[in-house]
Amino acid sequence: MSRIDASRRHFLRAAAATSMVGPGAGFALNLATMAAAQAQPAPGYRALICVFLNGGNDHANMVLATDPGSWAEYRKARVTAPAPIALPEVGTGGGVLPIVPNTAQAGRTFAVHPSMGGLVTEFNAGRVAVVPNVGTLVEPITKAEWSARSKRTPPQLFSHNDQTSVWQSLRPEGARIGWGGRMGDLLASMNTYTNFTAISAAGNAVFLSGETVLQYQASSAGAVTIGGLTGSLFGSTSATNPMRAIVTGDRGNLFEGEHAKVVKRAIDAQVALTTNMVPAANLPAPPANNGLANQLLTVARIIGARGALGIQRQVFYVSMGGFDTHDNQTGNHATLMQRLSEAIVYFNALMADPDVNAVNQATLFTASEFGRTLTSNGDGTDHGWGAHHLVAGGAVLGKDLYGAFPTIGVNTVDDVGQGRLLPKVSVDQYAGTLAKWFGLTDPQIATIFPNITNFASRDLGFMTP
Amino acid sequence: MRVLATLLVSGWLAGCGGGGSSGAPAGVTDSAAAAAATAAAAAAAEADLGPPGEPPATKAAAARFLTQGSFGPSASAIDGLMTGSYTRWVAQQFAKPAGTPHLDYFAARTAELDEGETPSENWVYESFWRTAITADDPLRHRVAFALSQIFVISMADDTVNNYPRGVAGYLDMLGRNAFGNFRTLIEDVSLHPMMGLYLTHLRNQKGDLSVGRVPDENYAREVMQLFTIGLYELNLDGTVKLDAREEPIDTYRIDDVVGLARVFTGFSWAGPDSANARFFGTISISDRDILPMRGYPNFHETGPKTFLGTTITTSTPEASLKAALDRLFNHPNVGPFIGRQLIQRLVTSNPSPAYVARVATAFNDNGQGVRGDMKAVVRAILLDPEARDDTAAGAAGAGKVREPVLRVAAWLRAFDAKSTTGRFLVGVTDDPVSSIGQTPLRAPSVFNFFRPGYVPPNTTIAQAKLVSPEMQSTQETSVAGWLNTMRNVVPNGFGNNPPNDPKRDVQPDYADELAIADNAVALVDRVALLLTADRMSASVRQQIATAVASINVAISNPMNLEAARRNRVHLAVFLAVASPDFIVQK
Repeated sequence: MSRIDASRRHFLRAAAATSMVGPGAGFALNLATMAAAQAQPAPGYRALICVFLNGGNDHANMVLATDPGSWAEYRKARVTAPAPIALPEVGTGGGVLPIVPNTAQAGRTFAVHPSMGGLVTEFNAGRVAVVPNVGTLVEPITKAEWSARSKRTPPQLFSHNDQTSVWQSLRPEGARIGWGGRMGDLLASMNTYTNFTAISAAGNAVFLSGETVLQYQASSAGAVTIGGLTGSLFGSTSATNPMRAIVTGDRGNLFEGEHAKVVKRAIDAQVALTTNMVPAANLPAPPANNGLANQLLTVARIIGARGALGIQRQVFYVSMGGFDTHDNQTGNHATLMQRLSEAIVYFNALMADPDVNAVNQATLFTASEFGRTLTSNGDGTDHGWGAHHLVAGGAVLGKDLYGAFPTIGVNTVDDVGQGRLLPKVSVDQYAGTLAKWFGLTDPQIATIFPNITNFASRDLGFMTP
Repeated sequence: MRVLATLLVSGWLAGCGGGGSSGAPAGVTDSAAAAAATAAAAAAAEADLGPPGEPPATKAAAARFLTQGSFGPSASAIDGLMTGSYTRWVAQQFAKPAGTPHLDYFAARTAELDEGETPSENWVYESFWRTAITADDPLRHRVAFALSQIFVISMADDTVNNYPRGVAGYLDMLGRNAFGNFRTLIEDVSLHPMMGLYLTHLRNQKGDLSVGRVPDENYAREVMQLFTIGLYELNLDGTVKLDAREEPIDTYRIDDVVGLARVFTGFSWAGPDSANARFFGTISISDRDILPMRGYPNFHETGPKTFLGTTITTSTPEASLKAALDRLFNHPNVGPFIGRQLIQRLVTSNPSPAYVARVATAFNDNGQGVRGDMKAVVRAILLDPEARDDTAAGAAGAGKVREPVLRVAAWLRAFDAKSTTGRFLVGVTDDPVSSIGQTPLRAPSVFNFFRPGYVPPNTTIAQAKLVSPEMQSTQETSVAGWLNTMRNVVPNGFGNNPPNDPKRDVQPDYADELAIADNAVALVDRVALLLTADRMSASVRQQIATAVASINVAISNPMNLEAARRNRVHLAVFLAVASPDFIVQK
């Protein structure tokens, strides 16, 4: 399947290069894309969709170990006054929902949050995989090494904004380049409209910023048309050109100049996108009250336009808030888990829709600044480190767990206090696996994730080769 | 039930210290008495205003000062300042009593409710816009808005959203402390029930290892990271200190968070006693949403609490909290950390280290040996040579992107906007496509609408090693939304329509502009002064003037002439608020 005729590959590259006359062509020709041209990534379309769970997801109530030993420790930590945050047992009313991965882990059984019934269906159908205990790391580290402070660790662990940034860019707040954007840099030459290489439906995120690739913001309405640029403006047919000049013109002040550039990008991108996006009415309706699903609908509408826009590689960013469950966790987190589950089911349905038709070409993955404590503060949890994550789509080798599930409990070999998980899989490994599927070579991946060489495995194996 | 309780409080409000300053029922009807008291206080303070100082060199300079120290200049505010001086103006602003304008607004609106109606979240926004546009102490309100973006609570939070009057009280509290002392400010913030709800230390219990429970760490972490000292050791000038290996030095570690979390245990709603049921909220008083939280010794960690090299051994909640806040308040980071952010909110995104150092020095000692004097800090920010230097404002990296709330407020003040109902009926303005993409007191998280250190990637701003916080919420959707929204708002007004009124409630008054509309150049000059402090580029002036002149006013039919003049004014104002010259405050 991966043996593509070399001349066809060459043709595609040449076509991509010569068709670079659309908006953004100017910044697409650079060393990074020249390097990408030599990488010879698989032709055809591929998309990565980052679902960021803002606030730090309570992974310990999303994917659970239910074997008797694990369950007893879980209950010990979470059945606490005044409001227990432990979920009910498998088989009881509202109990956690069992999942059976293809690869057994000795002595362990597993389940997911009771409100994630849809996710269980997708998992069993092989369209969802679980990666346990992923976190920000510089190099592998054991509990003893953590206690002795003998290994390097990422800056500002447990801090929301900084760990959000480290997850997305490998650096604390203030970082300017994220790994989604860097992947875009290296493969943007495959796109006719490079402006649509990195697209956010959830505001500016450092994840999507490359060295050359700029993120484009799409709204639930798609691209927003700016009125007044044609026709008449307050009764004057001569005012539209001055308006365009004023809002997009070159400026001496840096802030004015950059603002004008954003406006210019908005104007340039709008026509192409509005014309080509799949109408929302052609696609399944999103589940009610689910902002994440609405964002995924926008993503699917743009993926469906890939042919018309000449796009072969895209990185998307969507997000969902409310995960910082210090308080009132039981009810709030159940709602979040239900919405996340519904959104993943919906995503798979969108990709299967004939107007999108990207089942094996689009992969969704979760990210979040950190996991949370296993201990309870009475009715909620605090900032942790490692967390379990989900990968979904037709190209995922689903119905499995990739990596040993951590020991459950407080002060085990796998936690650094209060059940904050010491990560066993680094973000670099998790992202590197996705990057390889996306079409990057090992040297390119090492450029983006320099610390990946500190880890034994660079491919966790959850994607089809 | 919570909301019902807030309906019953107005009589009790004045007596308990949470409401107005007089014994009269709190509310707008109280304003005559309040105004008399204000006038008396102002007269008494006249002697303390200090030397009169020099008037601003130009109207443009005055307009620029008012852009930084208020929600924007109006023609009359510029004229007023031209007869005084910057120092005088600041001193006069300091002398005006704080009052409780937001709680007063809630009391007045609550008194007008019909049975079954409840206070609305929108009242917070209405009161915000009302004071921003009409209050005679705009410096206090501008600083309070800046503080609301550092000590963030948010109506976007489902729990806080249940207590709109509490949020109004929080904003009054910030206004009161805007010209007070930082030590009082941080204590009032820490004990405010809306902060307790937002950062979850309200009802936080001491740990109990027998049941596996540990204290909630949320407030302990954020009071250090965001409200006082930040993540890294700072020099006086706000630059990051480096260790021998040239690495930043963390101000605290996880152990410090765990230790400080023990301090913020045993606090919950106000009330006459520390009954367990009151701690859990099952019994309550009606003003608990606006009164400081109280201590509940049963739930407070009595053992030692160690953080930042200090061990607190006092056992009552209140004494522990005071000791902990004393430790944070006296950390050398506070002056540069808070000072730099206030400069960013009021004046410029990238103050020089020397500017930060001057403001931090004022924080550390107001000249009379007092640390944390906010008047000294605000004065230092606004009167600093770097803030006042009109030449420096022309540099490529000068200024800051104006956030949407400040843009709309500047436009409304420039054109003397009036509310038909007097209520400034403006609701949630979050949507960047259909509205302005920002609502005061409704940030997405405790990290505010944008971060002070945000660097927009792949920009000349980044190349110049500058930051631009407001660019974090600037993208293709928001800029298109701004243009579309203002194209509609400039001619039609802002906010919601009152019942049975075809016009929006907040209407600009363009009378002075209509009077000069036949002269395109004069019209553009006036708009440029009011909206850009005369810092509009020659090319943009020319483009607006050309566009305006294209609308024919050589018309004999009076109705058509009036319509043409209106179009000229609307076009000039719209193109000005669309221009980068306005969007970037310099």
